[in-house]
Amino acid sequence: MAEFGIALIATLVKVGVLVGVVLGVSAYLTWFERKLAGHIQARLGPNVVGPFGLLQPLADAIKLATKESIVPKGADVPVFYLAIAMALVPSLLLFSVIPFGPEFTLFGKEVKPLISDVNIGILIVFAMGSLAVYGTIFSGWASNSKYAFIGSLRKASVIIAYEVVLGFAVLGVILLAGTMSTVGIVEAQAKSGIWYILYQPVAFVLFLFCMLAESGRVPFDIQEAEAELVTGYNVEYGGMKFGAFPLAEWYLNVIALSAIAVILFFGGWSGPGIFGALSPYVWFLVKTFSLVFFVIWLHWTLPRFQAKDITEIAWKIMLPLALANLIITAVAVYFLGG
Amino acid sequence: MEYIGFLIFFGIMVVIALVMVSLNYLLGPKNPEEWKDYPYECGVPLYDENAQTTFHQGYYLLGLLLLLFDIEAAFLFPWTVVYRYLGVFGFIEMFLFVLILTYGLLYAWKKGALNWQFEMEEE
Repeated sequence: MAEFGIALIATLVKVGVLVGVVLGVSAYLTWFERKLAGHIQARLGPNVVGPFGLLQPLADAIKLATKESIVPKGADVPVFYLAIAMALVPSLLLFSVIPFGPEFTLFGKEVKPLISDVNIGILIVFAMGSLAVYGTIFSGWASNSKYAFIGSLRKASVIIAYEVVLGFAVLGVILLAGTMSTVGIVEAQAKSGIWYILYQPVAFVLFLFCMLAESGRVPFDIQEAEAELVTGYNVEYGGMKFGAFPLAEWYLNVIALSAIAVILFFGGWSGPGIFGALSPYVWFLVKTFSLVFFVIWLHWTLPRFQAKDITEIAWKIMLPLALANLIITAVAVYFLGG
Repeated sequence: MEYIGFLIFFGIMVVIALVMVSLNYLLGPKNPEEWKDYPYECGVPLYDENAQTTFHQGYYLLGLLLLLFDIEAAFLFPWTVVYRYLGVFGFIEMFLFVLILTYGLLYAWKKGALNWQFEMEEE
């Protein structure tokens, strides 16, 4: 019983730290993105609130929290509210299987820096990615607005196309590692000393495209499409209810999927131990945020695909590529022994 | 314990989501006016009061494709994990399975199911 109590407290502490850090980081990522976008477009970005505009996320949060709560006429009210939870909860739950470093010993106890070290970690990632579709669909349907509805249907068609490609692309990595546990995949790479991006470059490119599509980033942000749909599925939401959607989709999803990409292809926390005891964490965060930076960089420099092109690229180019990659990997693992 | 940790995390996430939903109701002003809750329609009166009607069947076809291929991917997941213990049996079985899968994809492609379904209207 005491054992269970200690494990419970450890889990609560881990959840508290994770939620605090993740929400804080994604709030500041808004500042970083706006600053970067400003400099890419030869502007200054936010620079009025606080030094270098550093208090801007706080000001935004206060402004969003003190707006009037408006529900559109004819909306399906329970589903309207449920959509927010359905968008936010899966994108945060993605973080439960992300290991930030190796096991360490604290007060004589083995502590793993992740919330649930299950042997189906990658499967949970897919499950949560698929659940995120419901947030979009519910918000578009419940808003009773044509713009929101069209946006949500487009987003759903994009996500379901890329969900399939994502599944087939990751199969190659699981073949090489022989496990679905996120910790196991990182350990397999650390043991062989070779990151899987060298064996699976095609899978990585496919994963990157799927990551952009799932998180609604340019060039796959057809559901936002400011010019035609204003912002798509969340057009009827206001205040913090509006803030929850970009938070979940643009920031939490991008950070979580970047971390998954680092685990699958870039060796997770492995790296030269030049920062002492903290070096696994430093390496993991450096790799993750390089990918996040890359995604934001793409967002502010590329134009947008048409809806037609997005789904046809997924089914006609990426899915055959992923299948070919899977077969070649299977043959190689069979004859060369992994 | 690992799954209990997941459940605890889920519970806390639901609480956070509820806080975000109710924050505007608790902190925001409350002065309803007649046109405030009007759905967005570029500033003109709504053509149709109800937007929750039918939608284009092209989206439905895309959904069917997802069902087919995602479930097939789900069959491949356990196979990849135990692949190195299966030997020649697993190797040949997988080839047959992926072959049938590829044939299904080619069939759908030939029938035009992978094409964007919305251009019929323009012709």
